[in-house]
Amino acid sequence: MIDVLQINPGLWMIFAGMVCALVPKGEAFAHIRKAFVIMVPIFAAFMIFQINSGQEVLAGKIELGGLSLTTLRIDSLSLVWGYLFCLISVLNGIYGFHEKCRITDSSALIYAGAAIAGVFAGDLLTLFLFWELTAISSVFLIWKGGERAYGAGIRYLAIHVLSGVILLAGAAIYGQSTGGDYSFNYIGVENPGGILILIAIGIKCGFPLMHMWMQDAYPKASITGTVILSAFTTKMAIYALARGYVGTDILIYIGAIMTCFPVFFAVIENDMRRVLAYSLNNQLGFMVCGIGIGTEMALNGVVGQVFVHVIFKSLLFMSMGAVLYRVGTTKASELGGLFRSMPITAVFCLIGAGSIAAFPLMAAFVTKSMIISSVVYAAEAQGSLWVIVGMLLFASAGVMEHSGIKVPYFTFFSHDSGRRVKEAPWNMLVAMGLASLLCIVVAFPFGGYQMLYDMMPYVVDYHPYTVDHVVFQFQLLFAAITSFCVLKRFGIYPAEKRAEILDADWSYRRLGMTIVSWISAMWTRLASGVKGLRAKLLDNLGQRLYQIFSPAGAMSDAAPSGLSALLTAGMLVLTLIIMYVVM
Amino acid sequence: MDILSYFPAWLLAHGAALVIVLPLLAAAITAIIPSRSLAWWISLGVMLTALVTSFGIVAQMIAEGSKIYPMGGWAPPHGISLAVDALNAPILLLISAMAVLTVIYAKPASIAEVEPKKQAPFYAAFMLCFAGLMGMVVTGDAFNVFVFLEVSSISTYALVAMGAARDRRALAASYNYLVLGSIGATFFVIGLGFLYMETGTLNMADMGRILSELEGGSRVSTVAFAFIAIGLGLKLAMFPLHAWLPGAYAYAPTMVTVFLASTATKAALYLLLRFGFTVFDPSWDYVGTILTYLVVGLGVFGMIFASLQAIFQTDARRTLAFSSVAQVGYMLLGIGLVSAAGLAAGYLHLINHAIIKGGLFLALGAFWYRFGITRIADFSGLSKTMPWTMGAFTVFALSLIGVPFTAGFVSKVNLATAVADKGWWWAVGVIVVSSVLAIIYMGRILLLAYFGDVPQVDGKPAAKNEAPLMMLAPMWILAALSIVIGVNADLVVETAERAASLLLGKGA
Amino acid sequence: MAKTPKNKVVDMHSAPHNEEAPDYSDIHPFAVPFLFLGRKSVIENFIWLPLIGMFIMIILGVVYPPYHPAPWDVIPGSWAIIGYVAYTIIVLSARPLFSLLARSEDYYGEGGLPDPEYSTEHAEGSHD
Repeated sequence: MIDVLQINPGLWMIFAGMVCALVPKGEAFAHIRKAFVIMVPIFAAFMIFQINSGQEVLAGKIELGGLSLTTLRIDSLSLVWGYLFCLISVLNGIYGFHEKCRITDSSALIYAGAAIAGVFAGDLLTLFLFWELTAISSVFLIWKGGERAYGAGIRYLAIHVLSGVILLAGAAIYGQSTGGDYSFNYIGVENPGGILILIAIGIKCGFPLMHMWMQDAYPKASITGTVILSAFTTKMAIYALARGYVGTDILIYIGAIMTCFPVFFAVIENDMRRVLAYSLNNQLGFMVCGIGIGTEMALNGVVGQVFVHVIFKSLLFMSMGAVLYRVGTTKASELGGLFRSMPITAVFCLIGAGSIAAFPLMAAFVTKSMIISSVVYAAEAQGSLWVIVGMLLFASAGVMEHSGIKVPYFTFFSHDSGRRVKEAPWNMLVAMGLASLLCIVVAFPFGGYQMLYDMMPYVVDYHPYTVDHVVFQFQLLFAAITSFCVLKRFGIYPAEKRAEILDADWSYRRLGMTIVSWISAMWTRLASGVKGLRAKLLDNLGQRLYQIFSPAGAMSDAAPSGLSALLTAGMLVLTLIIMYVVM
Repeated sequence: MDILSYFPAWLLAHGAALVIVLPLLAAAITAIIPSRSLAWWISLGVMLTALVTSFGIVAQMIAEGSKIYPMGGWAPPHGISLAVDALNAPILLLISAMAVLTVIYAKPASIAEVEPKKQAPFYAAFMLCFAGLMGMVVTGDAFNVFVFLEVSSISTYALVAMGAARDRRALAASYNYLVLGSIGATFFVIGLGFLYMETGTLNMADMGRILSELEGGSRVSTVAFAFIAIGLGLKLAMFPLHAWLPGAYAYAPTMVTVFLASTATKAALYLLLRFGFTVFDPSWDYVGTILTYLVVGLGVFGMIFASLQAIFQTDARRTLAFSSVAQVGYMLLGIGLVSAAGLAAGYLHLINHAIIKGGLFLALGAFWYRFGITRIADFSGLSKTMPWTMGAFTVFALSLIGVPFTAGFVSKVNLATAVADKGWWWAVGVIVVSSVLAIIYMGRILLLAYFGDVPQVDGKPAAKNEAPLMMLAPMWILAALSIVIGVNADLVVETAERAASLLLGKGA
Repeated sequence: MAKTPKNKVVDMHSAPHNEEAPDYSDIHPFAVPFLFLGRKSVIENFIWLPLIGMFIMIILGVVYPPYHPAPWDVIPGSWAIIGYVAYTIIVLSARPLFSLLARSEDYYGEGGLPDPEYSTEHAEGSHD
């Protein structure tokens, strides 16, 4: 008898997802699937609750071909992610309630389950397994975006499978250096395996120049697909980073760059969902930076930031999904004035925007100031880090630009596009309403953010609502809004224009493709050239070699024999030369 | 648990000779038999006997250690002898097991792929080839190795040429193979000649003893090693001496390809191990250098370049053929490490790859049998028209890529570990890159088969048309084996480690 | 799905805008009290809100200095300056970046975003 408490809770969701895939099509069965999508994450959360004992739980040990795997590890760090993923799965389930799509339902469950299982993985090999499963199960969500998403899906899959392969290679090397111990704890970059693993994680959480899959694939996925995708993959990577690379200095710099560069792309991007994908990248930068600082306070900030980030980022993607659902586009150039027809969605979007921009009383305020404060404390000890503080402040203004102002303003306000549509469906409104409520509750000064504190891995001694925090945050935000109004007033703020904005993916979507087609053209020419050369060789040296070496001795124009015979002789000469040198 | 007690004593005493003599005699008889099905039954009987015998030989080797069988009562080094040890016994078992599966598969396949009146000669040639391979593995005499090498090669040329019934290009491929194979054999025999000059004996154990007394010997034995290494390199399709292989694999009848891919190059690789490690000794400068620089270098190049070539093929059989060249690179890399772990990994991959590649070609043959297709572009929708065959193909493809819980994963992990042990991190990178390339060339076939549309026949999607049971059975036996090894590889790993310790002179 | 117009596009130029009897039939009832947000005067004078807020906060910032001052916090209102300058730099960089990085929407040959099935480009009615 298998003890159910030994089973990784994510597996329940993966299993449910597979059952969903088998539920037949049809209206009546769709409700069964929807019940699964909403209830199974609650059940998984219940199982996590049952397993959790307040101490580190290691369970589900399997011996496999000389390797000992720990398939379940719940401690104060992984627990947060586990609950968070369950929570957001429920919200996503409600949000997608109207959609009668078997593939989305089952892959959403498997994907979320794989992310949960990956977070609870106690060793690198189990992590690898679920790392790949998240990639494979989630690509269907992208493909549901229609014909145009196909290429992006393939690229997404290729990059993520590559990340998994690198992770496995790194794990193998790392396990070698630890004497066959694959357990997933602090890794660090001192070991070559550790560097490989860091690269694998870096791909998943969008390190600069490894980020482009996110902006490529997420905006092309289906409406519900994008909402689901935005929650899991990158946060799972952040977890892996927080587990294995706490206090790794290079992460501070990587994180700081990550917060800054997407800002510039977001400002010129026209597609709102793509703007949000850049914004997601920028938010991940704050987390990576916090992990690089690595103090208890920074880690608390990162954990809290992950928790609230998933909620408000989903909220923003949900609101843009609702707009896409009703209007048919999320291009800023096509939108405007929608508050007249979708006022409730507009309010939820504003709450999401306020949360991400870290307005006091809204979600990110507590956690983001925790991360920035921890960098400030570190900078007091090491002066060069003030540059990082400056970059983070710059990025905070950037967040205000693209997520705080651009997304709600150009969608719901700005000049009236004249579009009159229906308000979002009820289920979307419920999902967005719940998310908005959470955004406000977790930042509430009296008993609200303390709930967040209870989840953090270390004891927290940090007061976000001090006068100086609130005042200086407001200075930044008000100044940003003032700047926006001034620029708008004088007509300097550029109008939104339809365009494809090039990013690093240009290197393989354009440059790479060009090079490959050039090589294949050259290859064809080379092949015909070689053929001619080969014929010549046959006439001369090749034939003589035949007569010497081949017992058959027959002459023929059967193509590559001559060249090969020559090669064989060449190899012999090479071998003898090597030997001569050695002896 | 005494398996040996189930085998009759005479079988154990003369088994090593039986596996060569029986197929040779049967081949002579089969060649003149007019009945196709009788020829098949004889082959099956011979192969089954050989399989049982090989099994007995392996069991005996494990129980009692290495053994030498003098032929005709003349003790070595004067008489000819057969020698069984931990290195060659598993290969005997591998060859005879693959032969049995191939013969079963050949029953339906040969009807489709070989001309009716050539069917009995086909089985005869097949048994000759089998006898040759078994002989060159089991013999303890260097000149006999050459003789059996030629027996197997010449029958192989004939077998490849019989593919002409299906594709005329088989004739050119066979001719090409003949030319290059003969060059390889010539090099090999020249090398043997030099070696005989140096040592004055043809018994391999004796050669090894005398050479080590001479501490590597003079320049003559150096040259001998160069000739032997290159000759065998050609036979085992070491990059860039692999030019004969793609054509031969692509145009031979399927069962011949299956048998060649899983045994012929493996037997040649065995000879390289035998000569490189027991006759010569890697601790001598010239042997060590060649193994470390040439064998590893070419192996690594092969892994990358042959994989790249595989990506650009349009014919599925050629893709797999180039993939074979790449996989040989893995084995060479393992061997070139000259460490216990490396040799074991190479040997392990030798066994695993025989299973995987044999299985892949079996599946390709079934596709041709039902739909007459070999081009990758025609694979569209095959998962729906031939689900079981495609299922087996998928298992092998995943195994080739090295997905966990498959045989390929086990050997790649072992190889990577061995390479890392030596501190060659770059080679770990090469293994990773080559695996990614494998994902590409196998993945594009799988993508098409699973996501492509079923082709239209007369305006309707083509109907489901599964391969016959006699084709499916060997395929799934190998597929199951690949997964079993992937889940629990202890037995195979042990075998490989035993062979490795023998080569490094540590074990029995 | 692509054929049915899901949304109604109001032609702003030909629709009669009668200020005395406003027509709220196509406005969501919740939005009616907030229609003043679309008025020109409101938009033009909105700037005072953040501006005044900013000045109050700068003064408060001088009264309550930060506990952990950064090197630049000697300047009063430093965070407001950072926010204002950063924001302006970001927006001003948009034009050169756009001319550098923007290409036509079918640059990659995959079509722009979003999916044609959802896109209004194929729905009835132009919206240029």
